[in-house]
Amino acid sequence: MTSLWPIAFITFKEGIRNRAIYGITLFALLLFGATALVATMVPREVGKVSVDMALSTISFSGLLIVLFVGINLMAKDLDKRTIYTVLARSVSRPQYIVGKFLGMVLLITVTTLSLSVMAMAATFILKMTHAEFFTRFSWSMIALSVFLTTLMLILLSAVSFLFASFTSTSFITLVLTIITYIIGQSISGVKALIESPPQALGFTVSPVTMKLVQAAYYLFPNLSLFNIKLQAAHDLPVATSYVVWTVLYGVVYICLAITLAALIFRKKEFP
Amino acid sequence: MITIKGISKVFKEGITGKRIMALEGLDLDIPKGEVFGFLGPNGAGKSTTIKILMNLIFPDTGTATIAGKDVQIPEARKRVGYLPENPYFYDYLTADELLWFGGKTAGLTPSTIRERSDFLVQKVDLDNARRRPLRTYSKGMLQRAGLALALIHDPDVIILDEPMSGLDPVGRKMVGDLLVELKQQGKTVFFSSHILNDIERFSDRAGIIIKGKLRLVDSLTNILKGNKNLEDVFLREVASAEGGVAA
Repeated sequence: MTSLWPIAFITFKEGIRNRAIYGITLFALLLFGATALVATMVPREVGKVSVDMALSTISFSGLLIVLFVGINLMAKDLDKRTIYTVLARSVSRPQYIVGKFLGMVLLITVTTLSLSVMAMAATFILKMTHAEFFTRFSWSMIALSVFLTTLMLILLSAVSFLFASFTSTSFITLVLTIITYIIGQSISGVKALIESPPQALGFTVSPVTMKLVQAAYYLFPNLSLFNIKLQAAHDLPVATSYVVWTVLYGVVYICLAITLAALIFRKKEFP
Repeated sequence: MITIKGISKVFKEGITGKRIMALEGLDLDIPKGEVFGFLGPNGAGKSTTIKILMNLIFPDTGTATIAGKDVQIPEARKRVGYLPENPYFYDYLTADELLWFGGKTAGLTPSTIRERSDFLVQKVDLDNARRRPLRTYSKGMLQRAGLALALIHDPDVIILDEPMSGLDPVGRKMVGDLLVELKQQGKTVFFSSHILNDIERFSDRAGIIIKGKLRLVDSLTNILKGNKNLEDVFLREVASAEGGVAA
């Protein structure tokens, strides 16, 4: 287990120094600047719009980091055989996966926190200048939303690790992860829709479609659970039980994905 | 120290799954303190054997052990240093960080890591580049960084896959001196090469592998007995494996 920290540490260092991180951070900074501009165009809603845009920027930038830095970190190990550096030590393949994932968790946490500080600063400035439109506003709700977004990004990263454990190229891993993200964000809404009464829908859903959507609902992670940006923007209450169950769901899904990735990776060869 | 018993390995190639026999019933025993040169033409199975020893690939049949431990157990690599052929490391790490990683995974204390790193970066002549990202290194510098990483935990067994590849004459001399030094320290060294001169200069014993089959294993003295040089022996073995006559 002493090998986990060194693997996590070099993964984090390799990731944080990646030039793509600087590009994504610059992109986020531009969006935060745009937030100030756009929000002031709707004076009465400036509070809600600025919070919503700031949280969306964090979420989108984090997604880019998972897709273009995280997947690449793992892919490079396999494509360029840097994995030899790790596996030649007294490190098992499951330890490699767990260590690498912990490094990715650290990378996501640090980058999301940094982006959040920028977002908070942008929001704070707007709050100071337009205090009268920030009546329904709560820092704690913003923090809770950032926390759940971070957990969602970690979950997506865990799923990308699972894909990387059995796919042959990083491109396939990237495509599968993007598909998972899209399905994960929309599956709960789609399921609710097709389970509505036919009279409300205006058409009948075939049993095959119903089964497929239900299978996807249980197979893919329900990422929309982690999205409380709307509640944060409007300072609407979120039940403690909802947060607890969502966190539990995320942690269990992450553990399952990483365990499965480690099991598959145990049999992988690196010729 | 290193024991290989009846190892065979088949690779499947392309969508047709064409079977390529990379190793066939390989037996090898390398005692403690010996420098063993593993010689063979390109694609003979040298790297495959080394990758099996490092548990990077799995044999179809047979077993391999290092210091009595099955290579499939991570513990077997605790006292092993490995340099892959054409090593490639993390782009944004520095040589210092790479050595820190190697030391930490070997369970060294921070002070030992510092001490060994200082010693090794000087040894492989990377002192001035130790804080530079590895992506700025030349091929030879990467090779030397890889050597330092392989030796950071002062291993008892050192496995080097084509250690001279990509090195300039100065680098080759440095690696050669290092091999001699490791031998004097009583380390077990297993190195592969297709450069006959390297095998002749540094090995106590050598093995010639062709098309996945070990054709000859003996001490350098015995191999060279009655032969002009190692090249003669090698070409004869290659011709014999091809079913022809040596030139």
